Amino acid sequence: MTEAYYITASELAKRSYDDLPDELNSAKHMIYSSPATLDFNSPGAKGFGVKRAGLAIPGSVMLLIAPGCCGRNTALLNELGYSERFFYLMLDDTDIVTGRYISKIPQACAELLEELETEPSVVMLCVTCVDALLGTDMERVCRACEDLTGVKTAPAYMYALTREKRLPPMGLIRKSVYSLLEPQKRRSNECSIMGFFSALEDDCELYALLRSIGIKNIHELGRCKTFNDYQMISRSNFSLVLNSEARAAAQDMQSRLGIPFIELTRMFRISKIHNQYALLGQALGSQLDDTEYMNNAKNIVDSFRNKYPGEVFAIGESLNADCFELALALTEYGFRVAEIYGTVGERNFVFVKKLAELSPDTRIYSNLSPTMMNYEPLKDVTVAIGADAMYYHSDIAGTPFNEEEQPFGYRAVELLFNKLDKVLSESRGGAR
Amino acid sequence: MKKLLKHLSPLAPDDSGACSVLYEMGAVTVICDAGGCAGNVCGFDEPRWFTKRSALFSAGLRDMDAILGRDELLVKKLSLICEQVDARFTAIVGTPVPAVIATDMRAIERMAEKRTGLPCIALNTDGTNLYDYGEEMVYKRLFEQFVSDEYSTVKGRVGVLGATPLNTGELTSDRIKGELRSEYGTDVVCFGLDSGIDDIIRACECEKIVVIAPSGLAIARFLNKKYGIPYDVSGCCIDKNVLEAAKALDNKKVLIIHQQFTADYLREQLSGCDVTCASWFKMVASYKQENDVHIKGEDQFIELVENGDFDVIIADSFFKRALNTFKGEWIDLPHFAVSGRLNKDI
Repeated sequence: MTEAYYITASELAKRSYDDLPDELNSAKHMIYSSPATLDFNSPGAKGFGVKRAGLAIPGSVMLLIAPGCCGRNTALLNELGYSERFFYLMLDDTDIVTGRYISKIPQACAELLEELETEPSVVMLCVTCVDALLGTDMERVCRACEDLTGVKTAPAYMYALTREKRLPPMGLIRKSVYSLLEPQKRRSNECSIMGFFSALEDDCELYALLRSIGIKNIHELGRCKTFNDYQMISRSNFSLVLNSEARAAAQDMQSRLGIPFIELTRMFRISKIHNQYALLGQALGSQLDDTEYMNNAKNIVDSFRNKYPGEVFAIGESLNADCFELALALTEYGFRVAEIYGTVGERNFVFVKKLAELSPDTRIYSNLSPTMMNYEPLKDVTVAIGADAMYYHSDIAGTPFNEEEQPFGYRAVELLFNKLDKVLSESRGGAR
Repeated sequence: MKKLLKHLSPLAPDDSGACSVLYEMGAVTVICDAGGCAGNVCGFDEPRWFTKRSALFSAGLRDMDAILGRDELLVKKLSLICEQVDARFTAIVGTPVPAVIATDMRAIERMAEKRTGLPCIALNTDGTNLYDYGEEMVYKRLFEQFVSDEYSTVKGRVGVLGATPLNTGELTSDRIKGELRSEYGTDVVCFGLDSGIDDIIRACECEKIVVIAPSGLAIARFLNKKYGIPYDVSGCCIDKNVLEAAKALDNKKVLIIHQQFTADYLREQLSGCDVTCASWFKMVASYKQENDVHIKGEDQFIELVENGDFDVIIADSFFKRALNTFKGEWIDLPHFAVSGRLNKDI
């Protein structure tokens, strides 16, 4: 059996993004269903896949139009209370070859509406690889459903086949869930935060910073309780996009609703967070005073480093961070990062290059590589960050750091180090 | 509408059933999909995924692979993996993607065998059928292809067909062996559960085959016809509390829902009751009683219960969602292929 494939940061940095080794290129090999792979291929009860994300609009229901295999893991979402909101139009083998089911979708919508006590805000029609291959015109199908039922209908494209396209399924679904917003008068003291399906962590300084420059209402999809709350999003004067997968949705809102957007990145390097807030202030025409938050984050990192100076980290990608940026941050703070399990993309290759200068021997593994089934953990790693890293290093201290509440800015740094402190002190105290 | 599910979520599909039988066979198994089907198998329908290592992978198909029919690339990736992982044979499991583009699975099988030098079985599962269909298909291919007649009968050796987590709710063979040993023989092997391809090659050593789910019946008949191995049908792995609750019933009208042989076995434990067995999965005509029902859709299922006047239902509590009007007693009988619950979850 071949050992799990890895490449060091320095070896990888010597190559360009266009010259990745085959083992880091998922198009060149079979895919191993590691915990991280499952997180995006089959999110189940954790996180948001297309199916759960499609129900982010308050009061919505979903009709999944697919062979049984595509909806099988939806049973996991029942535990989260979604069972009343999912319906299934099951396709048989003749359906998937002929596409004869397409004409039955409006009637299926009508029948599911009869089942509901209250009219939903929207019926999301979730389609799969079958319709990607058949080339089904879902805009047209949605119009036919609306004509028959009088209820808003929108598509949710669960096209796993197009995951590496410019607009992948998680980008398309973000576009879909914001597509029902209608133009209205924008308010200068309102804005929206886009990027996640759940809200930012309550104590994130971004809220306070925005309020300090006169923003009264901050809209977030994850905080909308009613469809009316959702509609308020289009009153925003501008949007902050915190996850690049929401860029297409923000562009659509800019062109349809006239709402401009500013893109920010979740980072763990304090100096970069400070720079980003300075630039945001400039873009908004005000100065954002983040001194207090920055100093607090610095103190937390310093205090952690004094308490645990020699920790060696393994970082996965099933977490609320870019694993390469986080590895760079930890390295800059004086820690050693021995292993990263991640997917190298064009955007994070820049972090790999910087990491190579500070920590050339850091091993980079691909969660998707079949050789990962033979992975043996490095003995000198003392802390794991990310659900996948914890799976690989099941006998050491670790934090999944993948809660639904989204960490951002200095608060993300604070939350991470507090969690690490907690698990390490428990582990060193003998109670993990 | 017959194929509309308004209360229930989909049951385990054929590709999951195929993978379940192949899981411990020592093959490199490739699910011919874009990633989602493999995710459903490894993340939901295969409870052994995080406890027993298996070379089960997704082909990671992309739209252009499907549109251009890049079978050669699939085979190339398969041969690469055979260099990285020890394998006795390879298996390719179909999904809706190859079904839509009409992939010639037999051709891929031949291409793979030529390239890797290993036997290959390619399966025309497409995710639209149920798990028992996929299990039956794999049993058929494995036993027809690999059984060797060089082995003679070993006294006390019993082979079990249908022993998958999807049928039994068990992750290991311990309980099945424990229950069957006293009645059938001391040396029990559950094909595909704590057992690999070698036990299939040596299947002729079995004095008897015990079939615990309908998916194993066709191949038991094949083994009987070709090698003269007798077979018997039985149920097993019913929780003690369920059995006790069922045995305590008297003069009741009872509906049992599970895979056919488990439901039948439980019926045999009841006395003085009017029992109907029903299943969403394959029901073998020769084992059906007059009133037994093969459930084909949600509306038919609801109608069966509403018109059946049952006092008691013994079934996975997952089905309760569709039966708001049922006011009788419910005895929970988990079925992994329905709810994803193991026996230990009860």
